[in-house]
Amino acid sequence: MPIKYLLPVAALFLASCASNTPSCVGPQSKNLSQAIDTAQSSLMNGCHAHFDRYYDDLLTIAEGDPKPENKRAFSEFLVWSSDKGLLSNRQAQNYYNRYFNVKFMSMKGDYNNCSHTCPNKQKVLFNMERELSDKERGLLRVSLDNDGYYRADQLFQEVELVLEATCSACAAGR
Amino acid sequence: MRTAPRHSPTVTATRAATRRLSYAFIALLLFGFAVALSPTANANTPTIKLFPTTVVEDLKQTGNVARDMETGLQEVIGRLDQQQVLYQESKCDGAENDTGCQRLARQIGATYLEMLTIMEERLPDMEHTVNNTRLSLEKGLRSELGQKMTPWTLQETLIGGKAEQAASTSAPTLRGRSGMRLSERFKQYYQLVATSGAKGDQSLAVLASDIYLDMEETSLLIQRTRQEIARATLMEQLNQSFGIITPEMIEVVGGVKSILFGDAESTALVAGPPPASVEQAYRSPLEQ
Repeated sequence: MPIKYLLPVAALFLASCASNTPSCVGPQSKNLSQAIDTAQSSLMNGCHAHFDRYYDDLLTIAEGDPKPENKRAFSEFLVWSSDKGLLSNRQAQNYYNRYFNVKFMSMKGDYNNCSHTCPNKQKVLFNMERELSDKERGLLRVSLDNDGYYRADQLFQEVELVLEATCSACAAGR
Repeated sequence: MRTAPRHSPTVTATRAATRRLSYAFIALLLFGFAVALSPTANANTPTIKLFPTTVVEDLKQTGNVARDMETGLQEVIGRLDQQQVLYQESKCDGAENDTGCQRLARQIGATYLEMLTIMEERLPDMEHTVNNTRLSLEKGLRSELGQKMTPWTLQETLIGGKAEQAASTSAPTLRGRSGMRLSERFKQYYQLVATSGAKGDQSLAVLASDIYLDMEETSLLIQRTRQEIARATLMEQLNQSFGIITPEMIEVVGGVKSILFGDAESTALVAGPPPASVEQAYRSPLEQ
């Protein structure tokens, strides 16, 4: 095929691609369940790369109408995301637990504390502190779970104390 | 037609006894399973061994040594307080050349020396028992929490499988100046440890860490105090010839008083939890 025909065809092809690019705007509704519907439809139409932003938008919308049922809405949204292959099961668990569970995902690890946690103690505690502020958002400001947030805060303080002692004992044994 | 075999009464009795034993054994097994499957048993397994008998005994011993030291010092410190009041009331500040004031200052200095001597005598015992407790706890913490646990299992131990329960569960003593007598503090530690069987592992881990860090700090303080006592004794022996009350003397006595007998005003106020919400029964399938 002569080159003079190829160029317009390629241009037409590129133009068609450009016109199909999704806009990926965040959900506009202030109602969480409607916002979740919009987010789901956008995510299924090519916006999955913006998952983090959609999740954050949904949290902001939920903060506008905090209630214990919001936990379930987020859980169902994440299970749906995992079922549709937008997230792996582990990612879905991370998204949920980081915001709505008392336990800290920053305290995950397969090796013992002396060898793994103690050498990175400061980093672990720093990550926990950041996670605690996400829990404040998820537990306290989105789901009104004051007890849960208080327990997470207490757990953070206990981990800080126990790690200080344990790591000191580990260091003394070397 | 076959008839049932007849047995002697002894054989029948033996069989009945065996049957009873079997029933008892089965009942015991069932009870065992029930206990093993009950939530309480689940919450307590696996049990962590952070407080062997030696630690409990060491804590008791440290409490006794601290009490002896307090008893010995109480009278001397009381006397020192009276002498200081007398010194101030006699307007001796700025009148150091006055013979009466010099005599008073020497008396205060002698009492101060007496206090240092008592401390010097009692501190080695104290140091010994504190170190024993610290070393036993150190071993337990290293092995049970440091080497046998991952960060996740440690977290689960601390939370005690009661993540969704109200936070009003037993909160162990927190670190910091407790504003109580030293012996009272050890007595409280001892009681907490001695009765810890009824508590979950989560309290034990925090309690062991708390006591260990306290012992570490106490041990370091005792070492430094012993070094300081030698220096202060020498200085005071020199001062005795001049009859001077140094600000250091007053400061040391104040410090000893607050460490040994506590400072009621320093009790920290702990903020209460935020008001609880009732509806939180939902558990996500994603929850770990």
